[in-house]
Amino acid sequence: MEFKLEAHRIVSISLGKIYSARGQRGGLKLHKNLLVSLVLRSARQVYLSEPGCPPEPPPAASGRGGPRLPGADCEGPRPRRCCCGCSCCCAAAGGEANRADCAAAAEAAAPPPPHCPRKRSAGERGQAGSPVKKPRREVEEEPPPGEQEDMETGNVASLISIFGSSFSGLLSKEPKGRRRAPLDGGEATVATTPTDAAAEPGQICCDEPVLRTLNPWSTAIVAF
Amino acid sequence: MEEDVETRKISSSFLRDHSYATEADIISTVEFNHTGELLATGDKGGRVVIFQREQESKNQPHRRGEYNVYSTFQSHEPEFDYLKSLEIEEKINKIRWLPQQNAAYFLLSTNDKTVKLWKDEDGEWRMGSRCLRAPTMVEPVSPLCRVLVRVRWGSGTCPWVLTLCLSSQVPVLRPMDLMVEATPRRVFANAHTYHINSISVNSDYETYMSADDLRINLWNFEITNQSFNIVDIKPANMEELTEVITAAEFHPHHCNTFVYSSSKGTIRLCDMRTSALCDRHAKFFEEPEDPSNRSFFSEIISSISDVKFSHSGRYIMTRDYLTVKVWDLNMENRPIETYQVHDYLRSKLCSLYENDCIFDKFECVWNGSDSVIMTGSYNNFFRMFDRNTKRDVTLEASRENSKPRAILKPRKVCVGGKRRKDEISVDSLDFSKKILHTAWHPAENIIAVAATNNLYIFQDKVN
Repeated sequence: MEFKLEAHRIVSISLGKIYSARGQRGGLKLHKNLLVSLVLRSARQVYLSEPGCPPEPPPAASGRGGPRLPGADCEGPRPRRCCCGCSCCCAAAGGEANRADCAAAAEAAAPPPPHCPRKRSAGERGQAGSPVKKPRREVEEEPPPGEQEDMETGNVASLISIFGSSFSGLLSKEPKGRRRAPLDGGEATVATTPTDAAAEPGQICCDEPVLRTLNPWSTAIVAF
Repeated sequence: MEEDVETRKISSSFLRDHSYATEADIISTVEFNHTGELLATGDKGGRVVIFQREQESKNQPHRRGEYNVYSTFQSHEPEFDYLKSLEIEEKINKIRWLPQQNAAYFLLSTNDKTVKLWKDEDGEWRMGSRCLRAPTMVEPVSPLCRVLVRVRWGSGTCPWVLTLCLSSQVPVLRPMDLMVEATPRRVFANAHTYHINSISVNSDYETYMSADDLRINLWNFEITNQSFNIVDIKPANMEELTEVITAAEFHPHHCNTFVYSSSKGTIRLCDMRTSALCDRHAKFFEEPEDPSNRSFFSEIISSISDVKFSHSGRYIMTRDYLTVKVWDLNMENRPIETYQVHDYLRSKLCSLYENDCIFDKFECVWNGSDSVIMTGSYNNFFRMFDRNTKRDVTLEASRENSKPRAILKPRKVCVGGKRRKDEISVDSLDFSKKILHTAWHPAENIIAVAATNNLYIFQDKVN
């Protein structure tokens, strides 16, 4: 579990960096924010990945927990998430069947990470066809403090849904008109409480369900 | 930035009221000219300070070839882009010299958005160096320090000895007092949407290029109202952006060839003869990633922060966060040499990510004969690697450790286990003291090392 905590921490730090980058003198640094978004993506994938699945990449940076080798065992009494996103099968089943499913999913997911979150149950496929978008937007997250980590990975959203504002508005500060159309499954609906987010800029919480279903705060986001 | 105590005591009494005082003095680029006679530094406050090498004189042989402040001028001012509501920093990102023409010196300086060409003619730029020889101390802003060092890389048959000579500390001059009213000869503006990271003068001395995160433009020195876009990696859909340009340089001899590095750790060599828009590279240099080193931060540490052609034009050197690599232009699949600069930081990447140090952009330089390469590190350390003997040394640019005539010891970082007496442990390293910018004289063993707001010039003393 340590690697998930590490990943969670890295996600928090990364979001903090993206947020604070807006106030930087000289404007947003494209290079730095791109790198931060890549780290964010990696950490998020690890964070949301099935415990039994080999996290990609392994959190070698932390030095704790050790790298998870491919084929790490899927054993464990804890409820598991299959990368395939079959939340029902994971939650309901247990024991051997689950392990087998998980192993199969792990093998299938072992190749590049971009595909791992792609595996979702049919009903939740918002944009299976589109490539994983790199997160370069800023995000204000709703801070529901103390919320228990939810292991539901049924709907692993792409980063477009999480970071709603468009990157193509690089020359303009106004991202409003560039928000992506809502995807199937309602992954990227209009910002619900932008004022809340603007009011609590310091709080950045990266709970799993929030990560997945995060809505963009159009007023708080500055496009690159 | 932390300065040593001595400097702090002196400068505090002369501090300007402006809160940027210390920050503005942080040196952001260092560059020798083609003969090594002049050394230019740019800082975060948009100033350029030029040092000139003293002519050798028989009267004072011990002052052979020392560098003294020659002149200084304000190159860039902070600007505000009203359309984007963005402030444009005045920090000088790069300075590049042109070869001397007649009696005039030319240099290019750039901030994030605008490149300027400066010309020094008699009376226009130079301050009149005589008065600088014995000035009274006004305000130490850029102290000069020359240190005697004798570094032996081993008692083997081919020791590489670097000796430097220390003289009494040169009285330091406040650049503001020496400020000249300088006007740029040319201003090349409004060509870059993103932040300029590199400029490079072509070997034809008629053109130069400027590179930002996504585009590279080619300029003619005589034409300021247009430039040619020669590389454009901006995707049609910015959401698909995966890499940016981090550095670019022209080949030293072939005026049609240049390279640019990316944030993904790749280098592309382009030939301008093939097409007007060099989106398709002629060569692509990339080393396959080592899967055992994979971490959350693999992508960041593989981002190349500097790329430099060797003087011969046969090799390119790249710097990423932990290593320096030398590539042969004829071999694209891997570098021919890899040098670990500070591999002990590999286990600390998460902390370095937190404090933003992982984004530091270190530069690297070749010596004149391409036999030694140098780059900076933390704790005011800088490293030299001898490509022939495979020896390396870690030195420190610090006045505390540089008494007159003292022998500067090579430093060593203790990575674990028992720390020996003179070693410093990784956890004791000061990450606010970073050496990002260094320069090597084109012909001699003279190096300039910028340590935050201090400039160190090390010269070897021929016995």
